[in-house]
Amino acid sequence: MTPGSPGAEEQPVADRASAISTKNASKTFEGGTVALEKVSFEVARSQFVSILGPSGCGKSTLLRMVGGLIPADAGGEVRVLGQLQRSPSSDVGIVFQTHNMLPWITVEANIRLAAEMRGLSTSEIAERTRRILDVLKLTPYRSLFPHQLSGGMRQRAAFGQILILRPQILLLDEPFGALDALTRDQLNVELLRLWEEGKQTVILITHSIPEAVFLSDRILVMSDRPGRIIADIAIDFPRPRDPQHTRAFPEFTEHVLTLNHMMGVH
Amino acid sequence: MPRLSFLRAVPRSFIDPLVAFVVLAVIWEKAVDLLGIKRYLLPPLSQILATAWKNIDVLLRESAITGWEVVLGYVAAVAGGVALGLAIFALPVFRRTCYPFIVIFQGLPKIALAPLLVIWFGYGTSSKVLMAFLFAFFPVVISTMGGLAGTPVHLIEHFRAIGASPWNTFRRLRVPSALPSIMDGCRTAMPLAVIGAIAGEFVGSEKGLGNLVLLANANARTDLLFAALLAISVLVGVLYLLIELIARRIWWRGL
Repeated sequence: MTPGSPGAEEQPVADRASAISTKNASKTFEGGTVALEKVSFEVARSQFVSILGPSGCGKSTLLRMVGGLIPADAGGEVRVLGQLQRSPSSDVGIVFQTHNMLPWITVEANIRLAAEMRGLSTSEIAERTRRILDVLKLTPYRSLFPHQLSGGMRQRAAFGQILILRPQILLLDEPFGALDALTRDQLNVELLRLWEEGKQTVILITHSIPEAVFLSDRILVMSDRPGRIIADIAIDFPRPRDPQHTRAFPEFTEHVLTLNHMMGVH
Repeated sequence: MPRLSFLRAVPRSFIDPLVAFVVLAVIWEKAVDLLGIKRYLLPPLSQILATAWKNIDVLLRESAITGWEVVLGYVAAVAGGVALGLAIFALPVFRRTCYPFIVIFQGLPKIALAPLLVIWFGYGTSSKVLMAFLFAFFPVVISTMGGLAGTPVHLIEHFRAIGASPWNTFRRLRVPSALPSIMDGCRTAMPLAVIGAIAGEFVGSEKGLGNLVLLANANARTDLLFAALLAISVLVGVLYLLIELIARRIWWRGL
């Protein structure tokens, strides 16, 4: 950026930087398995990016690296909001396929947990919990225990466990992978509404090509192990999207077919 | 069977064992007469119950003594076992130093220690409490260690992701997730504590149900011996029931 270019002063530094950037990020596990090889990509703020790839290609490893749960090999770097990612921060929320609800406390207590761990004030926690329960339509079920919920509600609560910290970045590791098709479609729409409201930066790992095309601004395709990014596809359907109209675009089917082909489904 | 319809209100889980028990009691009662078994070998059930009733004050007194030994030894075993399990889990130095000894000691027939304990601590309560403790201690240690090590990996990762401190991870994740396993250890340990106390009384005592068994035996009072055995079973049953009631508060096993 040249000095004196318009708008340079008003914009804070962090805003100009991309939300997530990785440079030559590799991961070799003990025993020599190379899970990721020199992965470089950037995700702009508020972008919704999906990652597609065959099983075992290192998608989850990549997500854990971005989340600060595991370090990248020396020589590569992972930055989140401009900062080198070293440990999990409250700017980043991760939702996994297996829900992380503790069976011995209620839905509400599970949702509060992360806020308590991060040391938020009691009144703040109460207020946020109330809002989250409301947004996720879980208020009537807040006193139930996780095993008393249906799969879809449990996964919704799992989002609540993360959204309570109001992270700017959401890392979703196949969050709908264990759900039936109908519930999955429903939660896709709910996720979309949440994102339209909160404008978080999202990385979604999924095995469902239509899900990725429907939700994303951009899809990254990864190769078989060792994982590398082999395609970066922009999906530019207008927003707000909804299942009927978005899926009716002829380009929708085109994208799905291209990606199918790329993933080896002929 | 319209006449038995009132029975439907009582759950099968209660009726079935009761029926089995009555059938067995009748067989016992009749078999002793029909097969001509000598009374000093196997008294009929009615005689045992009569003896028990006649000696109810003795049985209650001795039960209270043995029960007290068991409770003291058991509580110490649970407290000490959980503490040692935690220490071995949390501090590698304990794992290296204490754990090998525990494994070796565990293999030792603890009943062989009873004479030594009587020499050291005398004929009174303390040697029996120690025996109960020794018998009950190891299952609690092992189950505590196992439970703590068995915390689901995905939950540990989740706690890391939400920035939980090691202490909070321990307190709010590891301990509750270990409790069902620890509870299993406590269940196993309860009858073992009774065995320990009775074994201690066998080796050297002046009181307690174990002592009563030996006395009855020495006097060829098989009916009293059986009555003492009956008291021991009742004691184990009552104590086990108490543990079960506590265990019910930890209901999240396998969820």
